[in-house]
Amino acid sequence: MNDPRPGQRFALDDPPPAPGDPRPAQAFDPTTESRDWQPEAEPQAPGEAALVASLARPRRRRWGLLTLLGGALGLGAVEAGSTLYAASLGGDWLAGAWSVLLLLALGLGGRALLRELWRLRRLRRHGRLREALAGLDQASPREALALAQRLREQLGLDADHPHWQGFVTAHQPHHDGGETRALLAHHLLAPRDREARRLISRMSGDTAVLVAVSPLTLVDMALVAWRNLALIDRLARLYGLELGYASRLRLFRAVLYNMAFAGASEIASEASMEILSMNLAGRLSTRAGQGLGVGLLSARLGLRTARLTRPLAFADDEAPRMKDLRGEVWQRLRRLEEER
Amino acid sequence: MPQPLARELGNLIERGRDRQLRLAVTGLSRAGKTAFLTSLVHQLRHAGLEARLDLLPAARDGRLLGASRVSQRDLGVPRFPYDQALAALDETPPRWPEPTRGISELRLVIRYRPAKRGLLGGESRELTLDLFDYPGEWLLDLPLLDHDYLSWSESQDARLTHGQARHAMFAEWRAAVADLDPAADADEAQLAAIAERYAEGLRAAREAGFADLQPGRFLLPGDLDGAPVLQFFPLPGLAEAQRKSLEALPEESVYRTLATRYAHYRRHIVKPFYQQHFRRFDRQIVLVDVLGALNAGPERFEDLSRALSTLMQSFAYGKRSLVSRLFAPRIDRLAIAATKADHVTPEQHGHLVSLLEALLAEPLKDLRFADVPVRALSLASIRATRPREVEQRGKRTPALAGTTLDGDEVLLFPGEVPPRLPDAGFWARQGFDFHAFRPLPRDAGALPHIRLDAALDWLIGDKLQ
Repeated sequence: MNDPRPGQRFALDDPPPAPGDPRPAQAFDPTTESRDWQPEAEPQAPGEAALVASLARPRRRRWGLLTLLGGALGLGAVEAGSTLYAASLGGDWLAGAWSVLLLLALGLGGRALLRELWRLRRLRRHGRLREALAGLDQASPREALALAQRLREQLGLDADHPHWQGFVTAHQPHHDGGETRALLAHHLLAPRDREARRLISRMSGDTAVLVAVSPLTLVDMALVAWRNLALIDRLARLYGLELGYASRLRLFRAVLYNMAFAGASEIASEASMEILSMNLAGRLSTRAGQGLGVGLLSARLGLRTARLTRPLAFADDEAPRMKDLRGEVWQRLRRLEEER
Repeated sequence: MPQPLARELGNLIERGRDRQLRLAVTGLSRAGKTAFLTSLVHQLRHAGLEARLDLLPAARDGRLLGASRVSQRDLGVPRFPYDQALAALDETPPRWPEPTRGISELRLVIRYRPAKRGLLGGESRELTLDLFDYPGEWLLDLPLLDHDYLSWSESQDARLTHGQARHAMFAEWRAAVADLDPAADADEAQLAAIAERYAEGLRAAREAGFADLQPGRFLLPGDLDGAPVLQFFPLPGLAEAQRKSLEALPEESVYRTLATRYAHYRRHIVKPFYQQHFRRFDRQIVLVDVLGALNAGPERFEDLSRALSTLMQSFAYGKRSLVSRLFAPRIDRLAIAATKADHVTPEQHGHLVSLLEALLAEPLKDLRFADVPVRALSLASIRATRPREVEQRGKRTPALAGTTLDGDEVLLFPGEVPPRLPDAGFWARQGFDFHAFRPLPRDAGALPHIRLDAALDWLIGDKLQ
């Protein structure tokens, strides 16, 4: 049973605090039950959410396509069901078996469609998380911690995953948004960044070699396209994004778009390095030169993908640099030439 | 004291390579200098093992190997009493280290693995960090270097009459000095008595929380207690216009005697102190006890602000180059820190920092003009409380659990920190009452702290790459 509440005196002549005044001190009984301090979320200003929603890119739903597919699946299922029923009454076992097969096929199709939708949703959620994490520096301690939890879920880490545990031991209640960001980048993302860099370096090197030795141009092109898609897939999975067919298409489109605009200005600013790599290509045989070009393209694609899928934007010195990757691709081709 | 040539040369080479930093830990008395230094040495000593320095990238990446104390540059200066300070924290019940009563030095060699191996140099590199502790009271003497006796008298006179509380404390001295004629012959005993009144006034003002008190040695005389050099005081009612006639007074007049003592104090006490210890700094951290100033009230708060801005004019700020590094070091990076951040709940830290920035608004403008990067942070060198949360009548309230200096276990919400200085009406209504806490009993690990790692990163992190 709880103790009765002790008496409490209220003075009448104390002037009431003005509304804007800082809160006065308040003492609690040391035996009062207390729990570990959690930073308090600051209430979002009213109307801010609405503003954010109205400023966001308008959502474009392909209602027509969805209706068509959903309708076809639904009507097909009804049709097959009624046929099955009629067949079971009439004893037409062949028609019944066909309709069972049809039902099965429709079920599989429906599942695939749902999965696609689900993965598209995950891609969208990933984008939202990225947006939220971009404002991490201004976040209050409690918001920062909530964002960290969301990031953990998105990356698919358990609560006792060593990387997350490392973050939890390092994190202190007083850490604000910027400090939390540094810790998240170090504990959760740095291992993935290293893996991503290794992956890009290896895949682009392999692609370069593949083009350099393959005798058939057409087969080359198909292989390169396939490998680049695989690279995007793996990078996305590394940063906690499972791609379906539609989401892959969408991401691929975003990457290409990004490469065409942001990437082009980057190349312009690094023009001297680009010319250098062209000179390097000139020193190789024609085939190896082509390999270098394709390898570099692949590396650039990988870098763009990593930049687009990493939940926290890269800080200045964190991003893997094109310069290093270029050097690596070049080294591999050089070795290949020498062996020849 | 002349130093061996080889040692000087070694220092010069180290400075040229920029592997040696001298850190100025600046703060008035009770701002937490000794605790900061103790904790800093402790954290670096335990770096890579138990110390949690997660905001220091070198430590986070596991590249920081630790630090050790080595023999210092100037062998004539006592060593920083690190072991005594730790012993004080280890006592039962633990207590804060003794306030500093004299100058002490410490040289620390930090060893780390560079992030990228250069052409020269092996597996690990070293950085030498020179630290220096001194009584905060003496720091207030540095502005004296810009004044002669007459101008100092004038400025003190203006300051002492400013504000009621301070005026009251010096009433006795004022009465004694009122019938003193500057032109009369000096009477040793009388001057000594008036000087003692003045010193009493200064001591009372310090007890009441004032900071801008000159001369500093009156508060903490060290080995100069009773020497005639400490028997001077400002003469009220002097003005610049009288300078000619005052200087023409005979040698043994009151004015000339006091002026001679002041000049001696300035030349033989303040100047060597400044030249030996305060000129060669590379980095600086200014520690400010913002909560203490809030507790003391608006008059003391302004007083602290004034003291800090005059004080910071004594340091040389600016960009460094090889030449300036060798011969005229300048502070090229500065941190300002609100200490004792553990005495408020964590969500108040933002306000604490903005209040600190308001307190140092004037010096910050000068620093910005000098293009010196400054970072403001809230800091607790040795964390003495644990953040908790209390649920009361369905409302969650942040709170602190700790032990007060009297030994009471408390759980309290210490009060909100305003983002800027409140108006006069608020002080009359409510005021502030932030409690002081005793350090937590120490366990085997490193000392708990708040953002000491961030401060370290800002101050020396760029040298640990």
